[in-house]
Parts: sequence; structure tokens; C-alpha cells
Amino acid sequence: MKNLRDHGLVERLTDECIDLYKIVFHRRQHLKPLLDPSFRTGELKRAIEEQRTARGEMEVAVDRILGAAERMMTIDFSNPEAAATEMSDCCGEIMEACSFQDITGQRLSQTIETLRIVDKSLDALDGDCASADETPNELSDESLLNGPALPGNGLGQDSVDALLAAGKKP
Amino acid sequence: MAVDLRMPVLIVDDYRTMLRIVRNLLNKIGFTDIDEATDGKEALEKLRKRTYGLVISDWNMQPMTGFELLKEVRGDAGLSSLPFVMVTAESKAENVIAARQAGVNNYIIKPFSAEVLKAKLKTVLGDF
Repeated sequence: MKNLRDHGLVERLTDECIDLYKIVFHRRQHLKPLLDPSFRTGELKRAIEEQRTARGEMEVAVDRILGAAERMMTIDFSNPEAAATEMSDCCGEIMEACSFQDITGQRLSQTIETLRIVDKSLDALDGDCASADETPNELSDESLLNGPALPGNGLGQDSVDALLAAGKKP
Repeated sequence: MAVDLRMPVLIVDDYRTMLRIVRNLLNKIGFTDIDEATDGKEALEKLRKRTYGLVISDWNMQPMTGFELLKEVRGDAGLSSLPFVMVTAESKAENVIAARQAGVNNYIIKPFSAEVLKAKLKTVLGDF
């Protein structure tokens, strides 16, 4: 009698272990995109670098804008012609510096895309979404849509000029 | 012959800030007739309605990228010789080569200075 009871208990425990395994396995599928080494060393690492770079670019831009504003505050208006030139130069400096918004905007978009993938996987894990299995396919950008390069990764204007010149007929 | 700075110029970028910056820089150079579009599709519609002397376009835009716009322009008999300058943060060699093969006249990496823009426009259009 006791053996029969023990046998029933073992069966029940085995079933529970199998159910538990199934749950863990199923949940792990939702985390698959995040656990994929290419995501961690690719998208996630890049998102962190994009944020770091964007912060540096914003600092440089703000420094240029403030510098130009400070120069404007010290312009000597006793010479109107020189003052006008100096004002124009400062305005140009501010306009150029403001282009950081475009670059950092693109960097932030990359980060948002990565966070969206994380969010989607967590949603799926929480049972709100059906599956996160298809997420890795969405990681790939169009091959020519890479956004701003991280420092040291893209070409400088001189290299671009050389590439363009190389393609011209003699 | 000097370039006629009254020629209509179309600038294409999905960032309003960049449109303003490029517009201001072109104004400073002396261009007076500057039009804007926020993606390739809108730009193409404008290019087919009016005669422009120059296009300055970003690459990364939706629904039509600047690269797709370039290919449309070069494939259109009425627009194929239109000077086209790409101004973009896409700075990989494959992008530059693809743009060159598609027929871009010049390629400027963002961020850029007023001097670089002026120099590249001189290369494309001639002295002004």
C-alpha cells in the first residue's frame, strides 16, 4: 500500500518537473533574441556606444554654441563693419554646431530600436505577446542603412573624396 | 561662366533642423530660391513638377531614401543630368561606392562645415 502511494507521488513529482521544464523552456524561447551572442556583442554593445558617442557629441555642440554666444557678447560695436562680420561668423558657428541634432537623433534611433527588441522580448516573456522568435530577423538593417558611424569606424571626408575621385573617368 | 545663384535648389532631409541649417548655409553662400522636401518621395514629386538646378539630399529617410531618389533621378530622362549631392551620416565605403555608381555628383559626410559645403558645390556647379 505504501509503495503504491509512493509510486503515485513519484509520478506526480515527475509530471510537475516536466511541466516546470516546459515552462522554463518556453520562457527561454522568449529570451532567445536577447541571449543570442550576436545581439549582445552587436546591437546591445552598439547601442551603448551610440549613447556614449551621442553624449560626447552633444557636449561638443553645446560648447561650440556657448563659445559663439560668449564671443557675441564681447563684440566691439564701435566698428560696425567688423562687428557685423564677427556676428555673422558666430551665427554660422551656431548653425553648424546645431547639426549635432541630426546625428545624435540617428544615434538615439538606433538605441530605441535595440530597446524595442528588449521590450518585445520582455513582453513575450510576460505572456503579453505570442512569440519573440521572429525578432532576430528585425535586427538586420537594410545593408546600406547603417546610420552614423561610431568614432573610428566610418570614412572621413578626405577618404570619401578619394573614393569619389577613384570612380571618375580620366 | 559663373553659376546663377538664383537657380532653384531642392534640399531633402527628414530632420527639420538639418533643412534649416542647409537652407541657412545656402542663403549665406548666396542662393535665393531654396525649396525643401522631407523624404525622397516628396522630393521626386517636386522634381517632376518644377525645374531645379541642384538637389542636396540626405540618405536615410522613409518611405523613400536619398539613394532611391538618386536612382529614380538618374533613371528619369528629364532629370538624369540634374546635379545631385548626397549629404549624409552614412560614411561607409560601400555607401560612397554605391552612390558613385548610381551617379552622385558629390558626397558630403555629416557633420560638415559651411566651407566644406561651399567647396563641394563649387566642384559640382562651378565657381560662384
